[in-house]
Amino acid sequence: MGPSGIGKTTLLKLIGGQLRPDSGRVLVGGLDFQRLSRKQLFDARAKMGMLFQSGALFSDLTVFENIAFPLRAHTQLPDEMIRDIVVMKLNAVGLRGARNLMPSELSGGMTRRVALARTIALDPDLIMYDEPFAGQDPIAMGVLVQLIRLLNDALGLTSVLVSHDISEALSICDHAIIIADGRVIGAGAPSELKAMDSPLVNQFINGLPDGPVPFHFPAGDYAQDLLTNR
Amino acid sequence: MIDFIRRSGRSGLDFCAAVGRASIFLLRAIVGLSLSGKGLKLLARQIYRVGVLSLIIIIVSGLFIGMVLGLQGYSILVDYGSEQAVGQMVALTLVRELGPVVTALLFAGRAGSALTAEIGLMKATEQLSSMEMMGVDPLKRVIAPRFWAGFISMPILAAIFSMVGIFGGMLISVDWLGVYDGAFWSNMQKAVEFNNDVINGMIKAVVFGWVCTWIAVFQGYDLVPTSEGISAATTKTVVYSSLSVLGLDFLLTAVMFGGI
Amino acid sequence: MYQRSMELVVGVFILLGALAMVFLALQVSGLSLDSQRATYKVYAQFDDLGGLNVRGRVSLAGVTIGRVNNVSLDKESYSALVELEIYTEVDNLSTDSVASIQTSGLLGDKYIAISVGADEEYLADGDTIFDTQSALNLEKLIGAFASGQADF
Repeated sequence: MGPSGIGKTTLLKLIGGQLRPDSGRVLVGGLDFQRLSRKQLFDARAKMGMLFQSGALFSDLTVFENIAFPLRAHTQLPDEMIRDIVVMKLNAVGLRGARNLMPSELSGGMTRRVALARTIALDPDLIMYDEPFAGQDPIAMGVLVQLIRLLNDALGLTSVLVSHDISEALSICDHAIIIADGRVIGAGAPSELKAMDSPLVNQFINGLPDGPVPFHFPAGDYAQDLLTNR
Repeated sequence: MIDFIRRSGRSGLDFCAAVGRASIFLLRAIVGLSLSGKGLKLLARQIYRVGVLSLIIIIVSGLFIGMVLGLQGYSILVDYGSEQAVGQMVALTLVRELGPVVTALLFAGRAGSALTAEIGLMKATEQLSSMEMMGVDPLKRVIAPRFWAGFISMPILAAIFSMVGIFGGMLISVDWLGVYDGAFWSNMQKAVEFNNDVINGMIKAVVFGWVCTWIAVFQGYDLVPTSEGISAATTKTVVYSSLSVLGLDFLLTAVMFGGI
Repeated sequence: MYQRSMELVVGVFILLGALAMVFLALQVSGLSLDSQRATYKVYAQFDDLGGLNVRGRVSLAGVTIGRVNNVSLDKESYSALVELEIYTEVDNLSTDSVASIQTSGLLGDKYIAISVGADEEYLADGDTIFDTQSALNLEKLIGAFASGQADF
């Protein structure tokens, strides 16, 4: 977790190997992504999934084809089998009836659920969520929160969730890390975080408008500014 | 002064880096085409979108340009009593120059900008990223079929353009202005040489198709994923493609026809 | 179903392109399928080509029987050496045939006209036509006429 613009999404892209760090190394499952060839990298990525903020469904394919896409790309399964898997995954997110819709016909919450179904299509070991709750209505948010936790436990996978929706994120996570100013300012189980007395962590968790992160963008003296304007 | 040198050096380096990026990108796109059944289906789909959907504009403009050439050529040639040479004039102009060049310009406007916008939108909505994260190389899956589709469609469109244009010229000069059609065709056949004119025109079309598609897909792939970025890249595609086509046309013409 | 009809359209598109190419080849550039006709080579020397080009026509009685394959300068005699390709089916050109450079129309292309002589022997591959007439040079003619030295 962390305030906007702090580099949370960048961190996920580093884990996924889409960006290269200027210095340091990123190890995922013991593999150093910076040392892998392009092909090895793509093979390694088949074992991880990422849910993008916008869902990133392929807009020219139906819901069904979207979920079948990773299966077709990575396996040689016959069509009937792919169909069964897709129906199962869609059922898991409760959208079995929407399989013939186009992505443009889906609501925001449904888009994200379809994207989630696509992400788990290949049964990855690691799923990264990039702001899964941003811009969702309360019902869709509740559904997503529950789904993420359920899928995590049912499939036995590792989930990395990036968010600034504190209460939702804390309600489902086992371990939370808050980053700000380019460093970790607090880490631990949700209860530990809430008990921390760091003012920055406090401001963030409780959503206070002013504090160590100031309300005002850095500027000169207010009175001075008003007077010199003439 | 130092600042100026620093800035120009910087933009020079940026330019070199962009050229390098574009070349690596091109190489990957060329080798990225898979000729399996699935790859061919993707290719066919893109040929449909890049080539077939450009057909109408190509045919209509070809027809009109041929008709204008017929009309203009006739009105000049008739003064010298050699209006029967209108066929060879229309055919040579179309086959050597206007066929490939105008097709490429229309192609850049119709298909190139669409390619850029489509790929740019896929990038902006993170579709390319999510494809990468699924372990599917977007260069192979998205870029390569589009690149090859443009590369294949362009000469076909240029040939159709020339053919339709010649029919347009014939329509005007033979059917309307009354040039004897036997002389129209035989003068044309005497003047147009297959090896020189038709083949060179096709080489031009191939080169233009290559350049236009390259620019279009690269601009789409390399753009800043915002709405301003997409509109800027689409504009760049059309401007760069048109300029490259006209510049290259001069170079190719000088090499092909300048020597005789 | 959608995929299938799209493939059909793409196929039609490709075929249309092939058709256009064939049209450009056959109807526009007049490429006949037997354009690579068998020929044999004959040489002729001229004092003045007057604008005869490679690929120019060689005709007999107005019918095309071959083409100019190459033009070069004969260094010893300072005259132009022209290499002609004559279709093999025209194998009865006598050795004393005359090759002359003519103009089609007043300002048209230069071509070589052959008029056959009376000899019983025929030209074969590699032979030379000795009896030649150079191009009628319009500029020289006008110049001579203007200075009153016309003697033709």
